[in-house]
Parts: sequence; C-alpha cells; structure tokens
Amino acid sequence: MAQLICRYRKGDRLRWISHLDLKRTLERAMRRAQLPLALSEGHNPHPRISFGPPLPLGATGDAEVLAFYLSEAIDPGEVKDRLNQQLPSGIEIVEAWLPPRYKKKETFGDIDVAEYQVGIRGDVRLTDVSPRVSELLAQEELVVERGGQRPQRTVDIRPLIFSLAAEDAAEGGIQLRMRLRTGSHGGARPQEVVALLGLEDGDTTICYHRTGLYASAQPSAAPRKGALHRWTRTRSNKERREER
Amino acid sequence: MELESLLPRVTKPARYTNGEWNAAHKDPAGVRARFALVYPDAYEVGMSHLGLQVLYHVLNSHPDYLAERSFAPWPDMEQQLRARGLPLASLESRTPLRDFDAIGITLPYELTYSNVLNLLDLAGIPVRAADRGPDDPLVIGGGPGAVNPEPMADFFDAILIGEGEEAILEIAEAAAEDDRDAALARLGEIPGVYVPANYQAAFAGAGPLGSVTPRNSAPAHIVRRLVTDLDQAPFPTHQIVPFLDTVHSRVTLEIMRGCTRGCRFCQAGATYRPRRERSVATLLRQAEEAVAATGYDEISLLAFTSVDHREIEELAAELVARFGSRGIGIALPSMRVDAFSVALANTIQQVRKSGLTFAPEAATPRLRRVIGKPMTEDELFAAADAAFSSGWTRFKLYFMIGLPTETDEDVAAIADLVQRLVAFGRGALGSRAGRLRIAVSIGAFVPKPHTPFQWVRQDSRDSLNHKQHILQQGLRGRAIKLSWTDADVSALEAAISRGDRRLGRAIEGAWRLGATFDAWGERFDFSRWERAFRDADLHLEDYANRSLEVNDSLAWDHISCGPEKDALRAEAEQALGRGEA
Repeated sequence: MAQLICRYRKGDRLRWISHLDLKRTLERAMRRAQLPLALSEGHNPHPRISFGPPLPLGATGDAEVLAFYLSEAIDPGEVKDRLNQQLPSGIEIVEAWLPPRYKKKETFGDIDVAEYQVGIRGDVRLTDVSPRVSELLAQEELVVERGGQRPQRTVDIRPLIFSLAAEDAAEGGIQLRMRLRTGSHGGARPQEVVALLGLEDGDTTICYHRTGLYASAQPSAAPRKGALHRWTRTRSNKERREER
Repeated sequence: MELESLLPRVTKPARYTNGEWNAAHKDPAGVRARFALVYPDAYEVGMSHLGLQVLYHVLNSHPDYLAERSFAPWPDMEQQLRARGLPLASLESRTPLRDFDAIGITLPYELTYSNVLNLLDLAGIPVRAADRGPDDPLVIGGGPGAVNPEPMADFFDAILIGEGEEAILEIAEAAAEDDRDAALARLGEIPGVYVPANYQAAFAGAGPLGSVTPRNSAPAHIVRRLVTDLDQAPFPTHQIVPFLDTVHSRVTLEIMRGCTRGCRFCQAGATYRPRRERSVATLLRQAEEAVAATGYDEISLLAFTSVDHREIEELAAELVARFGSRGIGIALPSMRVDAFSVALANTIQQVRKSGLTFAPEAATPRLRRVIGKPMTEDELFAAADAAFSSGWTRFKLYFMIGLPTETDEDVAAIADLVQRLVAFGRGALGSRAGRLRIAVSIGAFVPKPHTPFQWVRQDSRDSLNHKQHILQQGLRGRAIKLSWTDADVSALEAAISRGDRRLGRAIEGAWRLGATFDAWGERFDFSRWERAFRDADLHLEDYANRSLEVNDSLAWDHISCGPEKDALRAEAEQALGRGEA
C-alpha cells in the first residue's frame, strides 16, 4: 500500500462547493481515473482519503493538500495527470509526491498556520483601512462570537492572528494579507478578521484566497520569523533524491 | 457575474453554479432549437430524476438541438432574484429561460404545481398560455402528472402524455419552427401531444364531471406515447454527477419499466403498462459505462419492483461478480414482500447493506384483496425471518389508511400486525433484540385517474386524522418509529389529481397567495389553498371526497393512458361489488 500526497488548487468555478462536496468530487474522480484505491475495512468500505484544513465556503486556494492510499504504487506524475483528466474545471492537482516516510495517521496534523489574501472591492480605501489594521493589532484581546445565529461561545482570536497587513490591490480595491492559526487545536477565520475591521457590510465584494499552509512546529506559540516552513515544501533535496 | 454576487447570500449556493461532471456545454451556433429542461423542485430533488437526464442526453446527442437545465430556486434565492429584477436562467450558460425556444417542465407530482407557476413568473413568461405572445418560448409539460393534464392545462402550450424519450425529437422538430403559431400547429399533430387550447372543457356540476372535446380537427383522444423496445431505448450512461449530495447520489440503471402487479390504487402501475425489460447484456454494458463515466460507488436497479425482472438473479450475480471487488455496491430500491426478495437483497448487498422496505399497504387479508395487493401474512413473516437471519435488524413498512371499504378494525389491524412483527423479531434476534427497529410509514389513499379506484372518494380529513390517532395509540414502543402524511396534504393531492380545468384557478390563486414548495412540510400552508379554492368558487371536497358514478363522464376521459375505462370499471366492480364504487 502506498500513500500519495497532492497539492491542489481550488479555483473560482468551485469556490461555492463545500468541503464535503469537494471530497466526494475527488473520490469520484479517482474512481473515474481508475486509480487502484485502497479501501477501508468494515461494513461500508470507502477510499482512505485525508484532507488538509477545509477552506471556508466561497474561498479559493492554491496550497490545498490531500493524501490517499493506493493498493499498488504508481508514479506520482502519472497519478497527477490521470486525476487532472477526470477533475471538473475549478480543481486541479498541481503536484503529487510520495511522502518521504510513512506518515502517522494524522497526515496533516502538523499544519497550524494558514495564509490568506483577501481581495476587497467596492467602496473601500487603503487610507481608511490601514489605521484600523494597526489599531486591531495593538489590541490585547479580540473576542468573537461563534456558534451561528445563537452565539454560544466566545473566542479570543488575537493570539491566533500572527500577521495582518493591508495594501492596494492591482485589480482595484484593497487586499489584506494575513497569517492565522488553523488546525484542530483551534484557529481564527479570515471572515472574523474582515468583520473586526468592519469591512464585511455594505456593497463590497470580498474574495478569500488561501495562499499557503504551514507547519510552525511550535503549536503553542506564535511562529517566530524563520520558524515557519511551507507544508508543501517540506521535502529536503535528500528526500527528493530518495523518492526517485 | 450578477449571479456571483448573490451566492454569498443564499443557502447551498452550489445549487446554482453548475459545472458538474458530464454537464453539456453545447455551442448554440448551428443549433435549430434550444430547450430548457426544468424540474419544478429544488436542484437536489430534480437531479435525482432519471427522466430529466434521459431527455437531456437525447437532445444534446442530436446535432440540431441543445438542452440546458433549470430548477426551482429556493425561497432565499427567489427573494434575491426578485429584489434585483434578475430573470430565472439556465444553469449551463446562464441564459434567461425566456430566451429559449422551448421550456420543458416535468410534472412529477401535484404538490410541485405551485412551483411551476412560480418558475414561469420568475422567468418573465406569462403564466397563462393564452397571455403569451410570439416572442415567448413554448411551454411544454410532461411526466407522471400529465396523465391528468386538466388542472395545469391553462398554463401549458402543450403537454406530452406518456414517455418522453419516444416523442422528444418530434417535439424538438416542431420547436425549431421560427413562427410560434406554426410550431404550435405542428405540436398538435404529434401523436400523444395535447395542446389544451385546441380543446373545450365543459363541466357538469361540481367536481370533475364533464368532458373535454376538440374545438377543431384535433383528435378526440390523446393516446399516450410508449417506448416499445426498452432494450433499444436511449439511456444516459454519462449521467451528470452533482457536487451536492442529492436524493440519489448513484448510478441509476433502469432495468425494467411497467409493473405486472395490478394494485388497484396505483397510478404508475396502470399508466406505465406493459412491463418492458432491458436484457442482462445491455444492462451490464450500461452499468460498466455508467460507472466509468461517473465514478459513483453504487448502482441502483430502478424499476417499480426490481425483483420482478425475469432475469434478476442472473443480473444480480453478474453485477456482484463484476463490481463487488471494486467497492461498488448494488442497491435494490423496490422489493416484493417475500423471502426471495430478501435472499436476493442479501446476495446483492455484499459491499454495503442498505435498509429493507416492504409495502404490505393493508393489514387484513380482506382489505388486501380489495386493493389487489397480492401478499399474505405468511410471506411477510417469511420475509422478516429471512431478513433477521441474514443480519438485518431494521426495516421499513409502508401502509395506507383511508382505503376503500376500510373500517376502524382494518386500521387497528395495522398496529396489531406491526406489534406481532416486533414480538417475532425480538424472538428471532435473541440477544440482539435491542437493535430491532421497524419504521412504519402511513400514507393516505389518494384516488388517482386511470386506476380502478378513480371513482372512489377519499376519506375525509377528519376520518384520516381519527385513523392516525388509532395508530398513534397502537404503535408505541421502543422498536417502532411511526411517521405519516399530513391529512391536509393528502386532501390537496387528491383534489388536484382528480382536478378539472377549473382547478387551475385555485392553483394560480394559491401561488399568488405565496404557495411554493408545497411538498416541503415546513413550507406547506393549507390555509392558502383553502382560501384559493374559495376565491375560485370551488370546493376541495367536491374533487377529493366525492364518490363518482362509474358511468360519469370524467374530466380526464379524453386522455388514453393504457387501461380502457371498461376494464377499470370491471376491476372496480370486482373489488367493491357492483354499484359500490
């Protein structure tokens, strides 16, 4: 049995497809590509596919990751090509590789930082937003409510915002860049940051785009400069040689 | 682009975004007629409807025609569209529906009719055929509800009676005419196509008594279209694979059409006769192609009673042999009540076991004889025994209340039968008895046109509620889960299903009062319909709750859907005794 890891892109055409729907889409594409999927044991056998942190509905992403098991080894480049032929437009496998060693059960458990670019178009100016960004970062506590329409709990997301900056966007409007804590130990959502900046109301069009997923290897603290490594670039040259 | 800005504001935006695998994106240049195929319910219901995919496939496979899809937008999307003045458009190219040459709308069941009017209105097309002008598309209906087209007759330019794949290319040829009147004239010449404007409806008092007669040279009877050779009939193996989880997310393989059982309440059983089967060789080829083209992990064997296919054992064995090891399951959605069915389900469901469903419909032998349901209690217990010993601990039972000649004792017998099954199950399961679950689903009898019971009155809503109460009392217990259809919903279903052309006024009135998605319990408001009937000067009870005379001329007598009226009359008399209908 061989595990295979893929980085994929979720584009504009599929931004309104939920994570669960995307999962089914990939499973079906894998069957259409006639990849020899390794199935789980039990009453309801299903392919063993795991995903990195889900994208919020409406967001696109360049650095998404998934892993799955094949019952026989196939060249990762071939898997990538065969899958791409069977994927609907809006999702594309960018690269595929064999993990350097047999990963533990939680393949993507070490991912804890997500990087977003948020494009905001409409009645919005950088000169108004920049001071708000500084103000927000100067706060010691940023409490948001979670749990849908009937708020059930509050979370302080200030420690979960590692960086935040605003700039003019090439295509008009402004763009926010942010690095946020993500993963199973709790995280901040880009929509929460946008809401705290007071940018979600009115006639603005907001596009969320995830540009990177990282493992800081320091789950409890804000990652220091240089401590981040991009998850999809974790292979050393030596490991790359071994794969070949 | 405009649609894009609405998506963050609606639930399940993927209902509107398209781009699904196998969806067709055909260049309209060089095409002679463009069709919008519309299912008047939410996307995830409509995408589970095989008929839509068949017609989509037939039209798009033809070089001269193009088909795109559209569904009823959910109320939150409707609100957004109306607020911005955006017309309802197709999924594929986002072309406004009014720019198509023809709009084909399925009539799946009565409770979707308010959605049909809403769809037309959202598309900016006059809801009444008489108000449409030369630039409006042709609005063409079809599907199971078309067997009594009268309640919807005023809203359609044409309605196909019978099986769509048989006539769709002839209809497309007519729709390719540049001139709307010429197209309508050609539609009227196609066998099975009913052009309501060519017919005059006359009424004989209250209720569905009266007749519909041609105004001009149109035929006096519209004879349903029927696929004669199902094995050679077009079948979409490249089925569209929705992103959203739909009602049926699997390959639908239609193995047989029509039913040989003569249950007297069953409209589909009467109007899809005779039984036609696909051969094992064809089905295996279609299954292979469909699995390769869709990537689904389940194949559902569609038929009214799949186990009645003459080669079902051979088919089942072959499918399991070919697909089992690939993790692809086979589902048997419709069963007979007997041990053979359970044994077959057991062999077939090696990959994953889905639930078992049995439909005894009535609990006393006398009442089962009346409704023509060929099943004995021994068969039911044998089926249950086979199910328990094969490892099933839960199943579903369907019963009906309000059946002709039914007494309170017949109703109480349902509770008694279920309780005896529970006791039997506890014994058979031994230490696993705690896992026993029997879901009992209680429907109300609805008299349907073209069945031997078309003359029979529906039980009053008070009586149905009383009978539900008997069952609520008798069907208690941890192992039992009871559900039923609301009596108001059943009454409306009966009134529309036996409706005449006047009923269109009530349907339009209810829609204008805000009725849409009536099949979705939380959206159904009976008071709207009561008011709409009142405003239309009609009584729902005249349609639902009146016995009709077997010699009466009925509002749907001009539609020939298989069984002759004489045969239906003979069946009714055999069931109920002369004069009792």
